Amino acid sequence: MKEPSRSAKIGLYAALCVICPLTLLPLAWMLSSSLKLDKDVFTIPIQWIPAIPQWGNYIKIWEKIPLGVFTFNTFKLTIIITLIQLFTCSFAAYGFSKCRFKGRDALFLCYVATIAIPWQVYMLPQYTMMNKMHLVDSHMSLILLHSFSAFGVFLMRQFMVSIPNELLEAARIDGLNEYGIYARIILPLSKPALASLSIFTFVTIWNDFMGPMIYLNTTEKKTIQVGIRMFISQYSAEYGLIMAASILSLVPVFTLFIAFQRFFVEGVATSGLKG
Amino acid sequence: MTKLTRIISVLVCAAMLAGCAGAPAAATAEPQAQAPAAQAPEATAAPTESPATETPAEDVTIKVSLWDAETSPTFTSVINAFEAKFPNIKVQPIDTVAADYTNKLSVMLNGGSEVDAFWIKDADTIFGMVNKGQTEDLSSRVAASGVNLADFNGLADSFQIDGKLVAMPFRTDYYVLFYNKAVFDAAGVPYPTNDMTWAQFEETAKLITAGEGADKKYGAHFHTWQACVENWGVQDGKNTILSSDYSFFKPYYEMALRMQDVDKTALDYATLKTSNIHYSSQFYSGNVGMLPMGTWFATTLIDKIKSGESTATDWGIATLPHPEGTEAGYTVGSTTPIAINSASTKKDAAWEFINFVTSEEGAKTIAKDGAFPARLNPDTLSIIVSADGMPEGAADALTVKNIVLDRPIADKVTEINQMLGEEHGLIMLGELSVDEGLAEMAERAAEILK
Amino acid sequence: MQKKAFGLETRETLVGLSFILPNFIGFAVFILAPVLFSFYLSVNSWDGFRPMEFVGLDNFVQIFKDRVFKRAMVNTLQFSVFTIVFTLVASLALAMMLNQKLKGIAIFRSAIFFPYVASIVAVAVVWNMLFQKDYGPINAFLRFLGMVNPPGWTASTKYALPAVIIVVIWKNMGYYMVIYLAALQGIPPELHEAAMIDGASAIDRFRHVTLPMLTPTTFFTVMMLTINSFKVFDLIYAMTEGGPGQATTLIVNYIYNQAFVSWNYGKASAASMVLFALVATVTIIQFRMEKKWVSYM
Repeated sequence: MKEPSRSAKIGLYAALCVICPLTLLPLAWMLSSSLKLDKDVFTIPIQWIPAIPQWGNYIKIWEKIPLGVFTFNTFKLTIIITLIQLFTCSFAAYGFSKCRFKGRDALFLCYVATIAIPWQVYMLPQYTMMNKMHLVDSHMSLILLHSFSAFGVFLMRQFMVSIPNELLEAARIDGLNEYGIYARIILPLSKPALASLSIFTFVTIWNDFMGPMIYLNTTEKKTIQVGIRMFISQYSAEYGLIMAASILSLVPVFTLFIAFQRFFVEGVATSGLKG
Repeated sequence: MTKLTRIISVLVCAAMLAGCAGAPAAATAEPQAQAPAAQAPEATAAPTESPATETPAEDVTIKVSLWDAETSPTFTSVINAFEAKFPNIKVQPIDTVAADYTNKLSVMLNGGSEVDAFWIKDADTIFGMVNKGQTEDLSSRVAASGVNLADFNGLADSFQIDGKLVAMPFRTDYYVLFYNKAVFDAAGVPYPTNDMTWAQFEETAKLITAGEGADKKYGAHFHTWQACVENWGVQDGKNTILSSDYSFFKPYYEMALRMQDVDKTALDYATLKTSNIHYSSQFYSGNVGMLPMGTWFATTLIDKIKSGESTATDWGIATLPHPEGTEAGYTVGSTTPIAINSASTKKDAAWEFINFVTSEEGAKTIAKDGAFPARLNPDTLSIIVSADGMPEGAADALTVKNIVLDRPIADKVTEINQMLGEEHGLIMLGELSVDEGLAEMAERAAEILK
Repeated sequence: MQKKAFGLETRETLVGLSFILPNFIGFAVFILAPVLFSFYLSVNSWDGFRPMEFVGLDNFVQIFKDRVFKRAMVNTLQFSVFTIVFTLVASLALAMMLNQKLKGIAIFRSAIFFPYVASIVAVAVVWNMLFQKDYGPINAFLRFLGMVNPPGWTASTKYALPAVIIVVIWKNMGYYMVIYLAALQGIPPELHEAAMIDGASAIDRFRHVTLPMLTPTTFFTVMMLTINSFKVFDLIYAMTEGGPGQATTLIVNYIYNQAFVSWNYGKASAASMVLFALVATVTIIQFRMEKKWVSYM
C-alpha cells in the first residue's frame, strides 16, 4: 500500500475526526455511567461528567458476583471455539472454493440457508437434543453449538474464491497435493480473512448472552455476559455496575482487534503472488 | 495424489456418508423426542398414599428454578430455612437472570429438563404450562397436608384451573402510593391519606408541583408501563384486561394525559421513554411528590436510603388512591406462584418444599427480608412493617381490602397485554386520541381472542 | 480414457468432501438438523411440548391474515432495503479510507469498529438523546438548517423507523468495514500498477479494478446484510421496544412473540420461511452473478 499524498492525508484525518467522535460517543457514556450511582445514570439532560466519581463501582462488581470465574469461563469458551472455527471453517472453505465436485454448490446453499433461519425458531429442538445428550449445563454444549459456524465457512469461501487458480495449478505442477496447497499456499494467503474471522468469532462468543443463559445452570459455569445481566434484577437495575463490567469486558475484545487489524495493512495476501 | 491421501479420502467419504445418514435421522428423531415428555401428564402419581407430614426417608436433591439468587435474598433465605428443617432434602437452585427467566423456564420445561419445582415470575404465563400439562395438580396434596387455601386472601383461587390446583401463591405485591414528605412540606400541603380518590390525587399533584427546569418537583409520577395507567381502570374488580370494550380505561388515560400535557404535574411519557428514566431514580432524587408503585419498591427504597444513594429520606406510604364509588383499600396487584413439574420424579420432596415455602413459617421467613408473602395476615404484615426504615403508619396503609390481579390467569392474556402495551404508547405519545386508542384495543382484542 | 476421467472425478469429489467433512459433521448434527426440523414445523401446529399436528399451509394462511405480521413485513422490507444499501456504501467507503498507511490507523479502525461491540444499552441511550425532540443535537441542527418543526424521531410513529435505520447502519458499518479491509488485501497490486501505466484515473481504477475484484466479498456482504437485517432484535428492542405502536416491529419480533409468547412454533416457523424465501431469492440471484463476474470460479 502506497503512502497517500499530503493533501489526501489531511482530508482523511479531517473526515476521520468528524466520524470517530460520533462512533465513540457511547464509549464516553459507558465510561461516565460506570462512575455513577444508579440514580444518576439516566438523567435529563445527560450528565457527562459524574459529580462524585464512584470508583468503587469497579471494585463492587468483583464482590457482588463471581466475576473472576465468569471471566475465566468466557476466555476458555471463546478461545476454544475460535480455534476450532478457524481450522474447520478454513478447511471446509477450501473444499467449497477450490475443489470441484458434484453437489458442492447445493451443499453450500445448505450452509447459507441455515444462517437465514432465526435462532428462536430452532432453539427448542436444539435444546431438546442437547438435553438428550446430557450436555445441558456443560461448556461442551456451547462449544458444539458454536464451533461449526456456517458464517465462518461462508466468509472464508468468499475470500478464497478470489485467490487466483493459476497459483494452485503452479503448486500442483510442483507436486503439492490438495492438503499441501491448503496448508502452504492458501492458509498464508488467507491471513486477512482468518484475522477477520478471528475477530468476529471472538466478539460473537465473548458477547453471546442467549447461549449461556439457556444452556448453563450452575453459577460456576456461567460467563461474563450472564454475569452483567445479574445486575438487572426483577425490580431494579444497577446500571453503574453494569457499565463498569461492560467497560472491563471490552478490554480483551479491543486488545485482540488492535493485534489483528495489522493483518489488514501489510499486504500479506498479495506478497505471495510475486514470489 | 499419493496412496495415503487416497485411503484417507475413502475413509473420510465413508464417514461422510454416515454423517449424511445421521442428519436426517436426527431431524426425524425430534418429533419422537417429544413423545416421552408428552406422556408425562398422564403419569400423575397418586400422592394420596404419602401423608405430607412424613418426609422421604432417603436423601434427595430437588432442582428448583428461580431468579435473582445473586442479588435478592428472598429465595435463598427460604431455601436455607427449608434445608435446616428438612435435612434429608437438598435443594439445588437453577438461577436465571430475571429478564430472561420466563423464556428459560419454558425452554427447560419444553425441552425435558429435570427441574422438579419452579417459581413463576409472571403469573399469567402459567396458563400455557397448564395447557401443556406441565404443572402437577396439587389439590389432593393440599387436602392431605391440611392447607387452608383461604389463608391466601383469595390468591389461591386464581390457580384453580379446570378443577385442578396448578400452583401455590408464594408472594404477592400490590400497588400503593409512595410519597416524599419533603415535597409536601415545601408546599405546605398535608400528606396523602389512605382514603384518597384519584380525583383528589390529581388535585394534590397540582398543589405540590413547584419549580422549573432541572429542579422542578413534579407532583406525581407515572412509570411508562401500561400498568401505571390501566391498572386504575381494573382496580374496582369490575373489569379485566380481557375485554371487548376498554372504555373503563378512559378516565385514567384522560387523567394521565391532563397531568403530563396540560397541568405538567407529571413528567411526560415521551421524555421518560426516550431518556430511559426509571421511576426509582426520580424518586431517590427527590423530584417526585407521589409515586403509585408496587410494594416491592419499599425494600429497595429503604436500602438506597441506607446506602446514601437516595436523597429522598423522609418518605411515607399510603393506600393506593381509589376510584370514586369504590371503597378505599381496593388495589391492584400480582402474585408469584410456585408449581411442581408434572414430569418430576421427586414430587413428594418437591411438595414438601412447596408446602414449606408457602406455609406460615415460610411466609415469616420472607417477610423478614421485606418480601410480601401471599399469606398476608396481621402477623406477617407486622414483620414487614417492623423492618428498620419503614415509615410510620405503614401498617395501616398496607392493610388492604381487596387485591385485584392486574392480569387474570387465563388464555391469551399475555398476547392481550402485549397489544395493550403497544396501544398505551400510542395514546401517551398523542399519536392516537384516547377514543381512537381504546377503539383499536377493542378491535385487536377481538382478533386475538377469536 | 473415459474410465480415467471418471476416476479423476471421483477422486476430486472425495478430496473435496474430505475438506468439508470436519466442519460438516458438527454442522449437520447441531445446526442443519434443528433447522430442517423447523422447516417441517412450518406445516405443523406445535406448542413446543405436546405432539404436533399436521396442518398443511394453514400457518401461512394465518400469518398473512394477521395485521401485525403484515405491518412487520412492510417494516422489514423498508428497513432491509435502506440498511443494506447504506451500510454497504458506508462500510466500503470506510474501508477504502482506512486501507492507508496513516499514523494512528489502528486507533481509527478501532473507533469505527467500536459501535459494533458497544453495549446495546449505551447505544440506545446515546442515540435516543441525539434524537430527542426538543433539545437533541440532531433537531438543533435541523432547526439551524431552517426546519421549523423537526421530527420526534423515536417518539413518533412516522420517524421511528428511519431513526432505527440510521442507528443500525451506524452500529454495523464497522463490522462490514473489517470484511472489506480483509478483502482489499487480496487485490494484487500488479493490477493497480498495470492500470496506472495505462493512464487510468483513481476513479477508473476503483471502478474497473477494485470493485470487480471485491465481487465475492460484496456478494458475502450483501447476503449477510440481508440476513442480518432480518434478525436485528436487541438494539431495536432497547431503543423503541418495537414501538411506538408497531412502527418498528420487524418480522423477527413477530417470530419471537409467536415462539415465546404465544407458543405457536408452527406460525413462528412459517414466518421464518417467508424470510428464508427472500434470502434464498437474493442468494440465487447473487450466485448466478458471482459466476458470471468472477473469473476464477
